[in-house]
Amino acid sequence: MSSTLSKLVFLFTAIFFALFFVWPIFGTLQGAFVGSDGRWTLDYIAEVFRNPIYLEGLWNSLLMGIFSTLLTAVIALPLAVISDRYLFPGKSLLGAFLLIPMILPPFVGAIGVKQILGQQGAFNALLESLGLMDPAHPMDWLGEGRLWGVILMNALHLYPILYLNVLAALANVDPAMEEAAENLGCTGFRKFRKITLPLIMPGLFAGGTIIFIWSFTELGVPLMFEFTRVTSVQIFSGIKDIGGNPFPFALVAVLLTSTVIFYGMGKFFFGRNSHAMMAKATSLGGPRKVGWLGGALCTGFFCLITFLAILPHLGVILVAFSKDWYATILPTGWTLSHFEAALGHNLTLPSIQNSLKYAALATVLDLILGISIAYVVVRTRLVGRQILDAMAMLPLAVPGLVLAFGYLAMTQEGALMNLASSILAIPAGLASLLGHQEVSVRLTETVAADFGKFLVRHLSPAVDPLIIIVIAYSVRRLPYVVRSAAAGFQQTSVTLEEAAQNLGCPPLRTLRKITLPLIAANLMAGGLLAFSFAMLEVSDSLILAQKQQDFPITKAIYELYQLLGEGRFVASALGVWAMAFLAVTIIGASLILGKKLGAIFRV
Amino acid sequence: MIAITIENLVKTFGDTVALNGINLRVEPGELFFLLGPSGCGKTTLLRNIAGFYIPDHGKILFDREDVTKLPPHKRNTGMMFQSYALWPHMTVAKNVAFGLEERRIPSAQIRERVAAALGSVQMSPYADRKIAQLSGGQQQRVALARALVIRPRCLLLDEPLSNLDAKLRLEMRTEIRRVCKEFGLTAIYVTHDQKEALSISDRMAILEGGHIAQIGTPEDVYRRPRSKIVADFIGETNFLTGKVCAASTGRAVVEIPGSGKFEGIVGDPNWLPKPGEDATLSIRPESWILEEKAAEKNSLRGRIGESTYLGEVAQYQFLTAEMKLKVFELNPRLSARTSARDLHAVASPEDVVVLRR
Repeated sequence: MSSTLSKLVFLFTAIFFALFFVWPIFGTLQGAFVGSDGRWTLDYIAEVFRNPIYLEGLWNSLLMGIFSTLLTAVIALPLAVISDRYLFPGKSLLGAFLLIPMILPPFVGAIGVKQILGQQGAFNALLESLGLMDPAHPMDWLGEGRLWGVILMNALHLYPILYLNVLAALANVDPAMEEAAENLGCTGFRKFRKITLPLIMPGLFAGGTIIFIWSFTELGVPLMFEFTRVTSVQIFSGIKDIGGNPFPFALVAVLLTSTVIFYGMGKFFFGRNSHAMMAKATSLGGPRKVGWLGGALCTGFFCLITFLAILPHLGVILVAFSKDWYATILPTGWTLSHFEAALGHNLTLPSIQNSLKYAALATVLDLILGISIAYVVVRTRLVGRQILDAMAMLPLAVPGLVLAFGYLAMTQEGALMNLASSILAIPAGLASLLGHQEVSVRLTETVAADFGKFLVRHLSPAVDPLIIIVIAYSVRRLPYVVRSAAAGFQQTSVTLEEAAQNLGCPPLRTLRKITLPLIAANLMAGGLLAFSFAMLEVSDSLILAQKQQDFPITKAIYELYQLLGEGRFVASALGVWAMAFLAVTIIGASLILGKKLGAIFRV
Repeated sequence: MIAITIENLVKTFGDTVALNGINLRVEPGELFFLLGPSGCGKTTLLRNIAGFYIPDHGKILFDREDVTKLPPHKRNTGMMFQSYALWPHMTVAKNVAFGLEERRIPSAQIRERVAAALGSVQMSPYADRKIAQLSGGQQQRVALARALVIRPRCLLLDEPLSNLDAKLRLEMRTEIRRVCKEFGLTAIYVTHDQKEALSISDRMAILEGGHIAQIGTPEDVYRRPRSKIVADFIGETNFLTGKVCAASTGRAVVEIPGSGKFEGIVGDPNWLPKPGEDATLSIRPESWILEEKAAEKNSLRGRIGESTYLGEVAQYQFLTAEMKLKVFELNPRLSARTSARDLHAVASPEDVVVLRR
């Protein structure tokens, strides 16, 4: 790529980020810190910390984030270590199964968890039938506030991300480092604690950060558990009167600030020393075979985790097929009618169509941006390319809820009209400087109003959410695509491109004829991942899709679930459709990328 | 056939000066070598000629055309990369055809020319193979065919043989020379292997720290190095240091403390040694002849230390009172060389090069 083109790409992506990343966040902060009189104020923030309901919400969010992360680590760490060290029966298949939960929509799984672990759920029914529990006093497994249900669901959904991160970090540890420890008499768990764990800490931290940020601000799962005393849900409920109420803004600001603080603290305590490996693994480490007992234990452990992780979704599938399921181990009758009802409901087909449209367009946008950014970052020496790289990774560190809220705030009619007039103020000012007063007036009045209406027509989710949802979806998934494209560029020797140029192929055509075919697998995997995450998107979808005909699948499921009577069953049926669909795409991605999938989930 | 002229070329990367004022002219049809230790700038120079780097100062001319700022795809040079850079997603024939397709040549003609190019490197039977199915030597031939088939203005070779085993390397280097001469190509060949350069080059440039230390034919560079750096880099040598005691045009006599006087040829024609000036002698190990009697000059007294017998040659360590020398003897008769007796190592003035200290 010529340097002019690289600079254009740089400029374009910088503007894109300024408009759709910096500005929404800035707008939200403004809503939180600027009072109705237009002055800076800390009143709203202070009020958040005085109001016991908001305080409890924040406390619960914190618990949700911390315990989800801890539980995730407890699940993922042993899995990764076993997978890195040992060969056991069914390993490759089980390793792939382990990733399934990542693509199962967790807020749909919540329906299943409630069905299984609720007071009148399947697990209690099982205990009662075994005579282990008194039917008169059923155990409340999820806890009064349903916090534990949310944490369990988060952990069961998110552990694959940490697992892949740790696996990649372990693969990078030179076996000679551990052999040296053994040679000096340090073995077993001590060796793991003193040598291995510090070496994989950066990977563990990178994965843990994503999981903490994700679960700290998770919206869909607590919403389905009707767990309302948590900040994310409080923000969601506050959106209805976003025009006159500053508190959603203040809550978002607090959430964002605490994320940054926790991230900084984590980085300070855990991520400080990234130990550079001096050399790539040289000795023949590799996983070794274990005896039949050890093998059985490993296989059993993998099976158990996979089973636990898909159990909620099995619950969902059962709910979708059941006539009735209340206080029994299994449903008491079977039916296909919910699937028909789901497909027949006037929400369903349009929502599937919408989701496909949003997700596909977002994936295309991601691929275009991702390839351009990765190319500039890996292949050019443009000053500022590291900034571009960091910018592209930032959406991983900013909660989806915060961005979704920011998009909503920035696309309010008033905000868009203001944007239009401030953009046009520049040419208007120029015109008046040059003495064309009437042009200047026309620009500030009629043209600005028309431009504002144009922006409202195309960007306001209340009118047409297509563009803003596509942008919202793609910004959040951009890091995955940039990472996978960058990995592709790094793996592809630059001399392959130089050889083509040497034979007379101009740079852009070289990109198309040589480089892109060579990194097609990476792009496909990154694209598939972006696509399936976009299909599952909760915060943007719930917040930005406002009219029924614009709902994506996730919002349709949420709305169906709210219906009385059949709602639970029909929502589950639609959830099953969505899961079947996603399973196909993600299995494709993991087959293509294999172990390298972990590289995508790094901050 | 073109001449390649490099004028005062400077290339820096950040604070490092990779090329510091290179001047060079490669004659039409010449097989020209860039030789030097790693980091000397030879690959940087080649990449400037190919267009992958744009120099900070200076000019590159193909005949009279200034190509300094021309992007690589418009230079029409054929390059062979150290890693071959064959595209793994294409077959052998597709790889070779690529440059022709870029030039919008009719497909019938492409087929013909690809077949001919593969034939000229004995790779015809492999046209439909994938690159991964080829051995290193075969990949090397395909890379050569791919660079030649576009009928480039010049051929650029970046350490093309460094990934091959020793035997294949010998075979391929004569092959490369044959092909270059057959196609009548101006070729620039980068290597750090002096054997490659001595055996097949027409002329070579020795680079050191971004400068050209010497340009010349293999014999020039080997027998008349202009500096210690060149003498040391090409072949093996013995350095003896002393003071000039007499000098005439192109010749000088140097007094080596404790070892007598040595007469030799001045390496650098621009240097006129003055009596009393410090100087270094470079005498190749094979230049010494071991004699029973001392000669009146160019002679050292000592005895044989360790010896290594290699069949056609024996390598001795020759120990004098002051120093250790490397001495090679062709067609050696070791039994005559017991270490008990003192011997005299004598070098002809034609084989002694006088260099700046």
